[in-house]
Amino acid sequence: MTNPWLPVPVRVDRITIENEARDLKTFELSFVNDADRKAFSFIPGQFGFISLSGVGEAPFGIASAPHEERVRYTVKKAGVFTAALHEIDEGAVVGMRGPYGNWYPFDLMKGRDVVIVSGGFSFTTLRSTIVHMLGPELRKDFGRLTVIYGARSPGELMYKDELRAWEKSPDIELTLCVDCLDGECWPLTEGLVPNVLKQLAPDSGNAVALVCGPPIMIRFTHPVLKELGFPPDRVFLSLENRMKCGIGKCGRCNIGEKYVCKDGPVFSYEQLLSLPADY
Amino acid sequence: MLDIREGVSSFSILVKLHFLPNSKRDRWLNVLLDQSEVYFPQILESQVHWQRLQAGGLREGDGGPEWGLEHIRASEPIKSFFFSPRERVASFPEKLEPGETGRRILFGVKNCDLLPLKVHEQMFLQGDFKDTFYEARLRNTLFIAADCPEPADTCFCNLVGRRPFAEAEADIVLTVLEDGYLLEPLSDEGEESVRTGGDAIQPATEFQAAKRAEKRRAADSKLAKINPKPWADGLAQRIWDRSGEDGFWGKHAASCVECFGCLMTCPTCYCFLLYDKARAEGMDRSKVWDACYMAAYARVGGGANPRSEFLKRFVNRFQCKFTHFKNAHGFYACSGCGRCYRACMGKIDIRDVLGEV
Repeated sequence: MTNPWLPVPVRVDRITIENEARDLKTFELSFVNDADRKAFSFIPGQFGFISLSGVGEAPFGIASAPHEERVRYTVKKAGVFTAALHEIDEGAVVGMRGPYGNWYPFDLMKGRDVVIVSGGFSFTTLRSTIVHMLGPELRKDFGRLTVIYGARSPGELMYKDELRAWEKSPDIELTLCVDCLDGECWPLTEGLVPNVLKQLAPDSGNAVALVCGPPIMIRFTHPVLKELGFPPDRVFLSLENRMKCGIGKCGRCNIGEKYVCKDGPVFSYEQLLSLPADY
Repeated sequence: MLDIREGVSSFSILVKLHFLPNSKRDRWLNVLLDQSEVYFPQILESQVHWQRLQAGGLREGDGGPEWGLEHIRASEPIKSFFFSPRERVASFPEKLEPGETGRRILFGVKNCDLLPLKVHEQMFLQGDFKDTFYEARLRNTLFIAADCPEPADTCFCNLVGRRPFAEAEADIVLTVLEDGYLLEPLSDEGEESVRTGGDAIQPATEFQAAKRAEKRRAADSKLAKINPKPWADGLAQRIWDRSGEDGFWGKHAASCVECFGCLMTCPTCYCFLLYDKARAEGMDRSKVWDACYMAAYARVGGGANPRSEFLKRFVNRFQCKFTHFKNAHGFYACSGCGRCYRACMGKIDIRDVLGEV
């Protein structure tokens, strides 16, 4: 009998500060026990809980791709738990539970173009998705991969080394946009994500859109996607509601009759249209 | 054992009824006590509470406990036996697994307290993950239901489609008669348990069976008098359709003082939080009852809160029990026990809200 409430120990191998504001850190974790590593398999879009002994735990989208060696999470310092997490050092052992929830609709995406629209620090599970899709065996399964990723300023863009590599890759059409250029000159577009999406106007004919970002970005992105001809059942969002258990038991993360933890976190826009706007 | 064809509505069903005379009750209880922890509804200051039955405490009167078998449900819901207000569910570094719970008998459960078991089964035992702690506590429990002949004016099980006596979901259902108890086993475990009574338990007579039917009819009609008007069809949808009408919900929520009494006494509420506490070396994690009326219930780390206004949390509670749960599982997550109204300092009667929606 397994105890669903018990985290497994993981070691923090590497911590990277991702932004100028220094409130986004990526934690790369490896399993202390080999059996736990073997039991852990996930699909991009899923999430896990990180726990600190005696402080508590919180859910975060998995930012690494399944084939990568370490499990990676990028965490913004926002509340009590994340502030404590930002204090730990490399080498520390923390707890992890997961993976939980559903994933991006790779079956539906197969053979289609994929348009990824993201803003701010919610890019994490989409980084997982992109790295996964760019994998040598998988890339051929999908059509064009268009990525629009925005942040307030150049210094707030995460995973900069990878972004620079992707800009040169023929496998991905990446547009990076910032609200204000701040004097930076590497290929950046000045403008808000929804406006840049409108200008780029990716073909919706045979495409699936994955959207992740702050509520305001999502609100203005939907009408653009609609205008571009994306039907609601081909637009997917990942939600972040307050969770405690992550496995559909504690009742906390409900949006209508759905639990974000077990019925989500990935929902189609069509599904969300029939639910209350509790997100 | 006597097989009796008992008329129910327009068709008849075969029931197996036994009779335990008053004079032999304690003999059977002693057998049960030998095998199990037995809990019974005891009347204490005119309220019923679950108490553990002590071998020496069987005798009624003369300082013995006053049994409340014919009283309405106990003040506390039986979920506390399986889903306790606070329970340690993990620890680190040493491992904590669900302990074996010894055999327990809940003697005198009301039908309204059986429905929550179905709700919790959906929540805790179905799906990809099982709450192994809940499962372990539930296992080895024998449920002996008791008819509810005197529904109170706060009771409304008839409105949620239930009756004041169990017909399933328990192991045995018991009816108090003047000279003893009618017992109907509803499961194999129940049959086995009745058998342990040996010759203390006799076959019931047709007369006794008729008495039960009469008592049950009387209880049904009492409830029908208390709650004469059924909720209109499509309650789930109507709550949903009116969820944005702040005027309607605001009128009913006006006297709420946000004490959460309704949620803490609710037998079906299943929300909990996980609470970690550091020890000198390692930590303990506990499951603690939570309440969706709490302001910070849905607030995320960054401060965003989809239900920051109380009215949204108020509506969510009605949607949760009467719309979402019904849509997902086919029945309301409400047993009509009336505890929420009894606990309410603002005297909000859930029936007023649902009758008007």
